[in-house]
Amino acid sequence: MSTPFTTMSPSTGGLGMGPRDPKLVPYASQRVAYWYFVSALALFTLQVIVGLWLAISYAFTIPQSVVDVLPFGMTRAMHTNLLVLWMLLGFMGGTYYLVPEEAEREIYSVKLAYFQLLAFLATGVAALVGFTFGWTQGRPLLEIPTPLDFIVVVGALIFLFNVAMTVIKGKKTAILGMLLGGLTFLALLYLFGMPFYRNLSIDWFYWWWVVHLWVEGAWELVTAAILAFVLIKITGVDRKVIEKYLYIETALFLFTGLAGTGHHYYWLGAPRAWLWIGGIFSAMEVLPIIAMVIDSFLTQRRHGIAINNKVVWTFALGTAVGHLVGAGVFGFAHTLPQINYYTHGSQITASHGHLAFFGAYALLNLTMFWYAMPRLRGISQFRSSAALWGFWIMCLSILGIGIAMGVAGVIQTYVERVMGEGFMTAQGYMQLWFKVVLFFGVIMLGGLILTFWNIMTGKQSKEQQ
Amino acid sequence: MFLTNRNAFFIFLGGTAISLAIFLWLTVDTHRQVDALTHAEKLSDQVVAGKHVWEKKNCNECHTILGFGVYYAPDMTRVYKRIGPAGIKAAVMSPEVTFASSIRKMPNLGVTEQENADLTAFLEWVGNIDNHDWPPQDTEEAMSASQRRLAGAGLSRGASAFQENCIRCHSLGGSGGSNGPALDSIGDKYNAGTISRLIAEPASVQPGSRMMAFPDISESDRQAIGEFLAKQGGGQ
Repeated sequence: MSTPFTTMSPSTGGLGMGPRDPKLVPYASQRVAYWYFVSALALFTLQVIVGLWLAISYAFTIPQSVVDVLPFGMTRAMHTNLLVLWMLLGFMGGTYYLVPEEAEREIYSVKLAYFQLLAFLATGVAALVGFTFGWTQGRPLLEIPTPLDFIVVVGALIFLFNVAMTVIKGKKTAILGMLLGGLTFLALLYLFGMPFYRNLSIDWFYWWWVVHLWVEGAWELVTAAILAFVLIKITGVDRKVIEKYLYIETALFLFTGLAGTGHHYYWLGAPRAWLWIGGIFSAMEVLPIIAMVIDSFLTQRRHGIAINNKVVWTFALGTAVGHLVGAGVFGFAHTLPQINYYTHGSQITASHGHLAFFGAYALLNLTMFWYAMPRLRGISQFRSSAALWGFWIMCLSILGIGIAMGVAGVIQTYVERVMGEGFMTAQGYMQLWFKVVLFFGVIMLGGLILTFWNIMTGKQSKEQQ
Repeated sequence: MFLTNRNAFFIFLGGTAISLAIFLWLTVDTHRQVDALTHAEKLSDQVVAGKHVWEKKNCNECHTILGFGVYYAPDMTRVYKRIGPAGIKAAVMSPEVTFASSIRKMPNLGVTEQENADLTAFLEWVGNIDNHDWPPQDTEEAMSASQRRLAGAGLSRGASAFQENCIRCHSLGGSGGSNGPALDSIGDKYNAGTISRLIAEPASVQPGSRMMAFPDISESDRQAIGEFLAKQGGGQ
């Protein structure tokens, strides 16, 4: 374990957190992260609950009277916006947790950090309530209306300012550089999703600047930095070694991911050159993920004994493997234009989306939650059995969801795109598989509630550390 | 050793710069070509108004367009060619009738006549975007194949009017929609004139009919459809 740094600011003892143990949480301002993590977990739970309703809507015929009052589109917007919001709050909380330890000083302004959390939560609530009244921009994932967009931008600027000021005044590390770079990139890209575009093709072109360059660019930087921080803390590996792989892996992520955006530009009315560039670069997107998985397992082999936190290590390994399966393999499966011509805009995409978001980003966030939350609650070593149950229930149920959606997607691709039957004819054959999705969705919710409960209330382990 | 942290950092910068350069160069190229590929000269104010309707009514949150959006309902890229303005109107203005027997329903979103006209203009414009002939089920080839299947060598006026207006809900010879009854044997029940009246005002022929009225289809087209259907005769 790294030695705690000097800090003596008195702990304020917020709701739900015990008194701060400086051996576990060296800086008082790290405690800001607690409320970010709790909010993120609550919103994640809500996201899965809304998801169950979506699965029901796919699996069964919903009567016209219900559809008129509660349109599918409204609840789907909630499902995806909850996803974005909880993950961003998770990243921000993770950032606030790790920056003091890396920069070796307190966060520039704790008040701004809390204010910014409230601003994001208020925006989220306003957006969700707004959706029920049809207050929307009507563009998937970027639904929130322009006035709320501006609040998001202000919140993001406050966040960046707060983090940058902390870093400028403190120690500068490679992890902090990567993190700040990723966060700035993330905020800049959001701006491309805000204007109204007259031309639908251009509209979708820049929509992907937000969505693709987030998940296959900016978010990769942020999560690589967070993961590097956690790995340094829980394995005995030298910082220099981890930093080097941080550079190599993010180099590969950006090299393949930036031009790889082209795999979304095949069929939207853009030049044919994108089919080549998008196909070639996105086919390579799996490489950095493979490197990440090999790297993780080698680390385990070499430093197996030094790993001091089994739960966090399981989630970290799960992130690498989940990333590979969801983003790497399921992404690669339909990224070449010859295949994508038939699978584009089908349930294959939904299958990939669920596995990739969970494998790469939900597990990453949970890794950080599992590292930081026990410490924030004053627990040095966690009882691991329930945590591992949560891990496996969630991982296996999302795998079930992804595979069932994938089977539905293959049916859809064949019946609708190859045979030329009607959309609804294909959906009829697919309904059984959405019932399977619903089944695994219920189990997923169980695993998540178990995890949430355990993170909030779990006890100190009596076993030897 | 070559792979020092410093070299790793330069690999990071170099790799990112190369990929970014390719990406931005193709972005510039896209802006150069997009007007031609999307027929921007036909992107009228009404088309833009239609795009606003598309967004305001949250269409993209169930449907895909250009394959993007949500996979709950059919793709709208070539919908204008697939079902025509009458089909769009039937679906948008009275979904509770059009999709009464569908396994998935569409909400009635209170679209006005004007909004429907704008939306239709938007969908017509989208349908002509040159996007390398996607989606596969609505390519020129796929559409002409279904035409051949339906009508054999050539289409009479009645057959083509039937195809333009009716086939979305009704089937003939096993081809077509299933929202309304199959029409193979309607000739046993009604003559051409009655069918023409039924299209314009279903309730005048079948009180309590769930079918929506199509007074906008011209009388001569209705008559042609009637003659075409009347001679199908399912009896033999």
